[in-house]
Amino acid sequence: MAILEVKDLQAGYGKVDVLFGVSFSLEPGQSLGIVGPNGAGKSTLMKAIAGEVALKSGSVHLQGSPISGKKPEDVVRLGLSLVPEGRQIFGGLTVTENLMLGLTGRRDKASSKQALDQVRGLFPVLNTHAEYQAGMLSGGQQQQLAIARALVADPKVLLLDEPSLGLAPTVIMDVFSKLKEIIALGTSVVIVEQRAHLVTAFAEKTLIIRAGKVQATLTPEDAKDEVALRRAYFGAGA
Amino acid sequence: MQAILDAISLGGTYALAALGLGLVFGVMRLVNFAHAELITISAYVMVVTNDLPLLISFLLASLVAALLAILTELAIYRRLRGTGPAIMLIASFGLSVGLQKSYELIFGALPRSAAVAPWMTGSFEFAGLNFTISSLVTVAITIAILLAMGYLVERTTLGLQLRAAATDFKTARLLGVRSNRLIGSAFAISGILASAVGFILVVENPQVDPMFGLNITILALVGIVIGGISSLRGAALGGFIVGFILSILNTFLGNARVYAYSYLFLAVVIILLVRPGGILSKRNEMERV
Amino acid sequence: MSKKLAGLTKFNTRELFGPLLTVLILSIGVGAISASLQLAVQFALCNLVMVIALQVFVGNSGVLSFGHGAFAMVGAWISGMSTASERVKGNALALQELWQPLVGFNLNLYLSILAGMVLGALIAAITGAFLMRLNGLAAGIATFALLGLFYNFFFNNITFGPGSQALPAVPKFSGVYEPLVLSLIAIVVVYLFNISATARNLRASREDLLAAPALGVSIQRVRWIAFTISGALAGLSGAMYVHVAGTWQVQDYYLVFTFLTLAMLVIGGSASLWGAVVGTLVVTAVGQILLLWEQGKSIVGIKLDLPNGARSLIIAGSLVAMLLWRFAGVTNGKEFSIPFLGKRKSG
Repeated sequence: MAILEVKDLQAGYGKVDVLFGVSFSLEPGQSLGIVGPNGAGKSTLMKAIAGEVALKSGSVHLQGSPISGKKPEDVVRLGLSLVPEGRQIFGGLTVTENLMLGLTGRRDKASSKQALDQVRGLFPVLNTHAEYQAGMLSGGQQQQLAIARALVADPKVLLLDEPSLGLAPTVIMDVFSKLKEIIALGTSVVIVEQRAHLVTAFAEKTLIIRAGKVQATLTPEDAKDEVALRRAYFGAGA
Repeated sequence: MQAILDAISLGGTYALAALGLGLVFGVMRLVNFAHAELITISAYVMVVTNDLPLLISFLLASLVAALLAILTELAIYRRLRGTGPAIMLIASFGLSVGLQKSYELIFGALPRSAAVAPWMTGSFEFAGLNFTISSLVTVAITIAILLAMGYLVERTTLGLQLRAAATDFKTARLLGVRSNRLIGSAFAISGILASAVGFILVVENPQVDPMFGLNITILALVGIVIGGISSLRGAALGGFIVGFILSILNTFLGNARVYAYSYLFLAVVIILLVRPGGILSKRNEMERV
Repeated sequence: MSKKLAGLTKFNTRELFGPLLTVLILSIGVGAISASLQLAVQFALCNLVMVIALQVFVGNSGVLSFGHGAFAMVGAWISGMSTASERVKGNALALQELWQPLVGFNLNLYLSILAGMVLGALIAAITGAFLMRLNGLAAGIATFALLGLFYNFFFNNITFGPGSQALPAVPKFSGVYEPLVLSLIAIVVVYLFNISATARNLRASREDLLAAPALGVSIQRVRWIAFTISGALAGLSGAMYVHVAGTWQVQDYYLVFTFLTLAMLVIGGSASLWGAVVGTLVVTAVGQILLLWEQGKSIVGIKLDLPNGARSLIIAGSLVAMLLWRFAGVTNGKEFSIPFLGKRKSG
């Protein structure tokens, strides 16, 4: 059974529609990339799945049960976390406080502690800088914190919106290798990126979204084919 | 000496009022004019239940104020979320007037009075100086509440959520912070703070009329804006400054004390022009609100 | 693009004459019924001018102002002070300390109203030069401080006015026509301003604070212009009020007045002139009916015994209900139109 199933999702803001029927599914432990040009609706798709933007039609199922129409705070509790675009860490709070916020949905103290230890193992910087104000971390460290903060909620599915935004290439490689580890631990991951190369090579399967629709599905093989990638990304004219 | 103690005690009272307002503003960008009516209702409750032991009477007042605060959230403010601060401000203005008129229908337009905690109006001598008991008790209560609030905000999960929501509610929700519950808690706490203010005021002035809480609320609002509305610390500080200055002006202006408000308002305008984000604001950022 | 910038952009006869005729017909029609209704119409017209004054600034700029009461206060003050007779000013108990030059300062009714407008505009222009830098909440609180400052000053000062007491024996309008004509003029002025480039730029800044400067619009400047004009109109409203009430009292221009007129604007819909007219109309009508019920009279056969104070409660309640139901107001921000006569081209 698919862990995340999106069917014919339509969404937008007010009278403006952004997504016109997007469908895909994600298997447990799988990684999915979503790429597309600016304004294609990638972020809206993430927000719609996480409950921040209301669906106009279609459905989202997590582990077989519907989550569409639920509030973001409830979606997290059901096992789906979104790392929003631009990281959105709380710069005025300490690193530890940011992580504590990630635990909001969890009741059990012991497993919470375990989750904290786990992400600190995965991202040592969070340990060494525990009492720093999060706003003082570097961009890459902030991204790690944002991912860790989502991870402590123990999500089955982790959505990441543009994790490479504003990061230096070496730092990006770092973040992606951490994501590999996270997937290996059993979390399914959806990554939205404008940089098609990066994700196509990384994810088991990559959707290209343009004008609010899925235009094509790529495999890591396609990443090598520059021309095909370009064409899929920008449309037939390119 | 008494003048300084008075100023500190009045400043503290204003700080409590400002804190209640700042708390609600932080989580939903609402300037709650109707906070005045929370103060008023708790004063009414204390007057009406004056025959009961003081503590019981105060707890009842807190309960009523907290419930009223939550009720206004559920019935009105919840439905206006996302319409923008101006709309919510006007709605709270309307609610404030509406509640005043309701009090008028329930309790009458004329003041209701009762001597709440009469022992506090006495005075005593210390080191050759005269002090009123009420100002000392007020300072003690204020310090206790400010410390408790400091603990709540800085050290508890609820406080962490409040701080996070005040900077970025959207992201807080993505992390699982339950919006309705958090906003409800903020309103409840603001109601309890209002009842503390109501208690302090009703001891000083046992004449409770429908506009009882209006004055302090308006001035506390002024306080949170000049202190910096984006942080609770700024709100409390701003409230304190306004109360302190007002008290000092009252003491030292002599016959011109009637113009104390004019000077205060003038100071407010000037402070806002120099620092639109408040005294504690770090940068001259474009306003979020 | 034009859809984004709600509000009028070019002259449209219907949009101007709709409000004009509505006000004209209702004022004369209702005013003819009884003497007490005629007085109510006069008060309503004063409120109307205040509401459209607010519309000019608040509606166009999207910046909240609680300070307009201060402009009405000074407008009413100078208009009342300059028309009350020298004998009254010299002898009234409340005016013992009045500054001598004020006792001898006399104008005729119309000049005094003009003086009210000029003083309202002047105070608005001076304060606006500073205040227009502020946005959002800071602007709201700063304008509130302005109102508080003027109120505190006049309430306590007995050199320039009666302090907390009333200035008596201000000459009254002879009937509904004088305030009516003044209101109609105000409507025309506001309409012409609202279709001007300045107002259009101001509305552009309301939609997007960052985009307007990018288009070469100085937000501060256009706001200041609107603030000054609306200050003049608020001064006019106050000057009218003082000649309807026949007395000047500082409390008349404070919180209740501010709340009531803002409520009228919001209930009608602050984005349009027509909204201001409709809001004034609706709130006044509801208020009148409730007042009659409060007095134990019956209206079209319906008699309710409302307790004193219920009226304000219901008005406040309906303001809140209005916001919950439709926060853009009854008119939803649209200008006057007659539905079945063909719609104005939208888009």
